[in-house]
Amino acid sequence: MTMTRRSFLKRATISGIAAASIMTGAGKVLAGTRSTGNYAILHDLNKCDGCVHQDTPKCVLACRVKNELNFPQPQQPIKNYWPQPKHEDWSGKRHVTDRLTPYNWTYVQHLEVEHQGKKIEVHVPRKCMHCDNPPCSTLCPFGVNDKTAEGPVVINPKGCFGGAKCRDVCPWHIPQRQGGVGLYLEVVPDLAGGGVMYKCDMCHDLIKQGQQPACVNACPRNAIMFGPQYELHEYAQNWARQNQGYVYGDEENGGTANFYISMIPFEVINLAIIDQDLDGTTGRVDMAVNIENPLDEPGNILSGLLMAPVAGVLAAGISTYQIMKGGNDVED
Amino acid sequence: MKIKRHNTAIRFTHWVTAMSIFVLLFTGFGQMPVYKRYYVDQLPGLAWSSNFLATLYLHYLAAMALIFISAYYVTYLIVSKRWDIIPRRGDFKESMQIFASMLGLAEEPENDKYLAEQRLAFAVTAFSVMALIVTGILKVYKNLPGMEFSVGTVFWLAQIHNLFTVILLLSVIVHLAAFLIKANRPLVASMFTGYIDREYVIHRHAAWWDKLNKEHREAGLTSPPVHPEAVLIAEQGKSCLDKTGNSS
Ligand code: HEM
Ligand code: SF4
Ligand code: SF4
Repeated sequence: MTMTRRSFLKRATISGIAAASIMTGAGKVLAGTRSTGNYAILHDLNKCDGCVHQDTPKCVLACRVKNELNFPQPQQPIKNYWPQPKHEDWSGKRHVTDRLTPYNWTYVQHLEVEHQGKKIEVHVPRKCMHCDNPPCSTLCPFGVNDKTAEGPVVINPKGCFGGAKCRDVCPWHIPQRQGGVGLYLEVVPDLAGGGVMYKCDMCHDLIKQGQQPACVNACPRNAIMFGPQYELHEYAQNWARQNQGYVYGDEENGGTANFYISMIPFEVINLAIIDQDLDGTTGRVDMAVNIENPLDEPGNILSGLLMAPVAGVLAAGISTYQIMKGGNDVED
Repeated sequence: MKIKRHNTAIRFTHWVTAMSIFVLLFTGFGQMPVYKRYYVDQLPGLAWSSNFLATLYLHYLAAMALIFISAYYVTYLIVSKRWDIIPRRGDFKESMQIFASMLGLAEEPENDKYLAEQRLAFAVTAFSVMALIVTGILKVYKNLPGMEFSVGTVFWLAQIHNLFTVILLLSVIVHLAAFLIKANRPLVASMFTGYIDREYVIHRHAAWWDKLNKEHREAGLTSPPVHPEAVLIAEQGKSCLDKTGNSS
């Protein structure tokens, strides 16, 4: 991988902060274990046939079976999100498999694309990307959406208040909300909160037991690979180089743990998604390339925050000196 | 006649603090998904309020101002050694006495430059600001690419930051409510101009008045007793008496 200006800046900032935090003794809490213990998933779109001869794609089915007990069991009736005249409730549509819902954490986009003059079918299994620096997790106001040491980004259904901020700040708007469940019911359900957010957790429990995510095992065509993030990243890069193919998820949103490889450029795939899959609601997911991470460029802010106390001490030194001399106090 | 109460450094500190905390509270609440739900972003000029990244950026900027002014103020206190606002032994009892006097149950104590309850309120506010700055900086670290805290750390950082936000908000409300009390009103003007009536000082801050007199005598000056700083004004040709136009 070539080092772009951006990634260089990023690294320079990180090392600067690391140095600063070691000096301030905060180094202990920083666990920079990104590359070693992290796992990832890789979708080989050249192998996936979308299970078109099945009722439901095998990976989607496996996900639903594995997570059956994790799906929400809301209390009816579900109230509107006052003062908004609406609420989100998928409990009557549990059977839906062609989009992300609180009861369906992965779905397959069946597309027809034109590439080099030929019409080609492409099938894209979609789910949470498990970003390296996930805005959904870092910006969760309750601190209950966690980038785990193993790589999966996991929402704690017991702590989630269902404000859906994670869905707003996720570039793909992945997490989906179910009303009538969760902590908000215990507080002031008429006025605040909205339920619990649900999404793929990369089968975090299985990974911790040394097993693979359910979708990986279920795929009859071995189109989903699972392994250490750096290995799959290397695999994807090598494959793309040798085959003049394309990778998705390595740079997007600052890097993710969910890679896609394909012979068809992802710009083309994304156009087909916009045309054939999106319907203007969340739960249908685009595939825009080179999505920037909104939290990626802290450079100026950061040096500002580091400089602020220094500037404060200097300014105070000067003005207090003037006051003590008796000069400053009298000018007004 | 007027007495100097708030010098330029204090007024500068006060208003930068007030403004930064106002912005921090507004944008801080904006980190929760509330401005869209409750239609705040429908108000004229506030469309940006439901944009989480806009409010986050503003929150960072205002935090910068607050950290700057906190460092400024701490340095000012240390260098100038003006500890009038720092709580002392017995402040709790004394502030009870002040409340009792408001109900007519006791005599008001002889107050120093600040009342005992002001010094206590200052301690609560300053501690909250400190806790917010520390947890806030850790939260900024966490948002950087490549930074990972453990689940527990992230959760407790958020909880502590939110808890002190509530405490600070309450302390700001109490602070502003103090000016509903008529006896405190003249201080508002002083936070803009720096000066307060001598009569007010004699009646409300007898202990401070004594201190000013003592400083004044030590400076080798004769009556009328005024703060040495005010004397300097007189020496520069601007008579203290001009401030109100009449002598007392
Ligand atoms: C915008 C609304 C505000 C107004 C109108 C206001 C007004 C005042 C006034 C009149 C005083 C003088 C009291 C005295 O000398 O005894 C004062 C003092 C003080 N205020 Fe505020 N204030 C405001 C916001 C804040 C905020 C947000 C904070 C920070 C939490 C704050 C912290 C303080 C402190 C620490 C003092 C004592 C300052 C000193 O003389 O050392 N104020 N304020
Ligand atoms: S894809 Fe969205 S929900 Fe998943 S980790 Fe990234 S930001 Fe979070
Ligand atoms: S990834 Fe495998 S299981 Fe999922 S749709 Fe494609 S072929 Fe089927």
